[in-house]
Amino acid sequence: MLGIVPSATLLGADGHPVTVEVHITTGTLPGFTVVGLPDASCREARDRVRAAIQVSGLQWPNAKVTVNLAPPTVRKVGSGLDLALAVAVLLASGQLEPQQVAGLSFLGELGLDGTVRPVAGTVCMTEALGTGPLVLPAASAEEAAVIGGRVLHPVTTLAEVVACARGEEPWPLPSPHRELPDPPALPDLADVRGQPVARYALEVAAAGGHHLLMLGPPGGGKTMLAARLPSLLPPLTPQQALETTRIHSAAGIGLPPGGLVRQPPFRAPHHGASSVALVGGGAPHMRPGEISAAHHGVLFLDELAEFTPHVLDALRQPLEEGMVRVARAAATVTFPARFLLVAAMNPCPCGYGGQPGGCRCTEGARVRYQRRLSGPLLDRFDLRIEVQRPSAHDLFGPPTGEPSAAVAERVRAARERAEARGVPCNAALPASQLDELAPLDPAATDLLLGALAAGRLSARGLHRVRRVARTVADLSGGPPVLTRAHVATALSLRVDGAALGIPVQALAG
Amino acid sequence: MTATRTGTERAGALAAAVALTALPSIGHRRVRRLLTGRAPEDAWALATSGHPDGLAAALGSRDGLGELAARWASSAAVVDEVLERCRATGVSVALHPSVTSALPAGEAVDVEVPYPARLVGDPDPPAVLFVQGPAADLDGPAVAIVGTRRCTGAGAGTARELGRELAAAGVRVVSGLALGIDGAAHRGVRDARQAHPDAAPPVAVVGSGHDVVYPRRNRDLWTWAADDGLLLSEAPPGCRPSAWRFPARNRLIAGLADLVIVVESHAAGGSMHTVAEAIARGIDVMAVPGSVRLSAAAGSNQLLAEGCPPVRDADDVLVALGLVAGRRQAGAETRPAPGPAAAAVLEAFEWEPVTLEHLAVRTGLPLPQLAVALEELLAAGWVQLDGGWYERRAAP
Repeated sequence: MLGIVPSATLLGADGHPVTVEVHITTGTLPGFTVVGLPDASCREARDRVRAAIQVSGLQWPNAKVTVNLAPPTVRKVGSGLDLALAVAVLLASGQLEPQQVAGLSFLGELGLDGTVRPVAGTVCMTEALGTGPLVLPAASAEEAAVIGGRVLHPVTTLAEVVACARGEEPWPLPSPHRELPDPPALPDLADVRGQPVARYALEVAAAGGHHLLMLGPPGGGKTMLAARLPSLLPPLTPQQALETTRIHSAAGIGLPPGGLVRQPPFRAPHHGASSVALVGGGAPHMRPGEISAAHHGVLFLDELAEFTPHVLDALRQPLEEGMVRVARAAATVTFPARFLLVAAMNPCPCGYGGQPGGCRCTEGARVRYQRRLSGPLLDRFDLRIEVQRPSAHDLFGPPTGEPSAAVAERVRAARERAEARGVPCNAALPASQLDELAPLDPAATDLLLGALAAGRLSARGLHRVRRVARTVADLSGGPPVLTRAHVATALSLRVDGAALGIPVQALAG
Repeated sequence: MTATRTGTERAGALAAAVALTALPSIGHRRVRRLLTGRAPEDAWALATSGHPDGLAAALGSRDGLGELAARWASSAAVVDEVLERCRATGVSVALHPSVTSALPAGEAVDVEVPYPARLVGDPDPPAVLFVQGPAADLDGPAVAIVGTRRCTGAGAGTARELGRELAAAGVRVVSGLALGIDGAAHRGVRDARQAHPDAAPPVAVVGSGHDVVYPRRNRDLWTWAADDGLLLSEAPPGCRPSAWRFPARNRLIAGLADLVIVVESHAAGGSMHTVAEAIARGIDVMAVPGSVRLSAAAGSNQLLAEGCPPVRDADDVLVALGLVAGRRQAGAETRPAPGPAAAAVLEAFEWEPVTLEHLAVRTGLPLPQLAVALEELLAAGWVQLDGGWYERRAAP
């Protein structure tokens, strides 16, 4: 009177194998108990599974049913164990024979009408289940196929599972392997008219992995510019694609056709986002946050100053380490979060404070607004540019700019130069190696000394300007020694923090 | 004995007049109405009597008087300490002649100073004025330089230049020590005083007590104006800068000047109020032209459109004052001439604040060349940087 079926559960962005054991005993009062650290949604499985078994023309045992989810140390969350539980009940009640499902694993939620429904995190759980054949919802087959080397049996109803197990029908197989469809086209830089400086800043950001802050009034096209950054980044490598797909799967974000995220993701959470929504966590299964969804892609924070200050400060660890550790009483999980941060904000509440003499805010309102941003966060932005509304003349006058493909080619070449120095991009160049990898000619040194003396730069800002200058040089063919033009360009793409009420000294912190 | 007694009586009357200004929510008009036709002690007794009816007769209005009379009655103790507070902060008191004539005869009390002659005939004169510095600083031509707090760097530069050159030519600069244009004008005066000891001293009119510095960012100017020139206020020492005091302050700036110059003003604001006060007094107004695209120059350009004479440099002001122009010393240009590429970029500024993006579109230069030219202009001082905005400071 025992049924044992392998399945899996999701915690954070990792799948964990779970063995579903069902024991049925007569001679006591009928009942249903789940043990082995289930959460509430697991316990609700009883009602779904009973209904699904009954509408599929099978018998729900009129006896005491005990379910054990092993190992008991891992918290089981969600409805993904439903199908495995149903099969285990059918085994324990003798409606299926053990050899009929030997070696098979099961994933999927059951509807009350017996349909098998997809669950979030299929990619991660498939990976955790080893290489044996897997029975899973048909709607998740494409997603699971991302992890190769397994036999998949996509099913749509519990009745179909039973019929296949009993040999009345063959196990279904996924549609034969086909070429992945071309990913949908990303927004193209050719749509941006005029704005040569903003375009160039995007190019530098993509090539060097430099975080970008855009300042300016509403209507300047900041969101439009940011959305075009993914099209400049190199396509994801197979390894990166898998990492990002795993997170999107765990977060329940819709995956593109073909199941694999092959383009750098673009995530733009609204400024009302909580810190859990942004960095991840939350009951019950520790969902990855927006910053992890932007892994290997672009995180765009519009209206940066409207975000709650402690939410923004939560970004500092991930920006530094490329991942975030979310610790809760129940569990601690680690999510990768290596993203390019692009932010946009108005310089003051009225939006016109950038232009000297243009602001309509009171002094106090300005100070309160600027106090919402911490100096250490602003300091993470290597590139800080002013984006104004293009004039009507700009909108109609200049020819359409370069398309993304042409810029992406320069970005790719620049990234290759950075990789030859042993870093993924220039933003990661260690300060100790700048003299060796980003040497300055005398005119460039003079320029930087002047900027330091004039208080435009802090010591830490100096390193950041040198890294950006290295990227500027790499984009123009990669001369080994940085010239005055490279450094001047880097300086011009770095709006003084004092404009935001942040003194240079604070930015050094 | 008689002389001493009259001296004490005079001090008592003076204290009563001064104490009126320290009552809560009392403006200059109420102080004047209370003192008109009454000995100061009687005015004080009436103000602190707590009877709204007597007050209503004196003030000509009943609105909110019940509550006010009670608040004033509870402030009666201030009369005993008000002169002491003036002495402690180094502030003297000037009474309008109509008030002085009501004082008991006798020698002037130690904190008493003469009333500025320019305000004696003013249509809306302060009955009591608090003064730091020698009244002689008001003798001679005086020009008010006013403008917006939210000015451009170019506007502040013009105000500073005018302040410096007018002071060097012996013209008193009257202003309000506010942020922006006001402060810049007096910084110019300070430059001139440091270069030539015989340059004219500053005249500052403020809206709070002498010991309540506002705005705090201009503390250095405030201290300097009190030490080196004349600092005037209608508010007694210790008085907070309430918003309603600033329009009242503006009428004094207008009333003390022979000419009011508006450097940069938005379409509405304090400086336009000063202009209205000047026009009401028949004092001439001049304005510095600004870019037509600049919100910070909308008000001053409107004045020009309405027929104000323009100010292009300090000579225009000196001519308007009937003084000999050209007495000012034109500073020789010390900036190194920009190279051809930098000169072309400088031309693209068109005298208004621009971003890098504007310059890139206007010049069509690739960013590296543009950036190098801008660094040259910044280093030489032709251009200044305010956040992401560049402003042209001078013509080569």
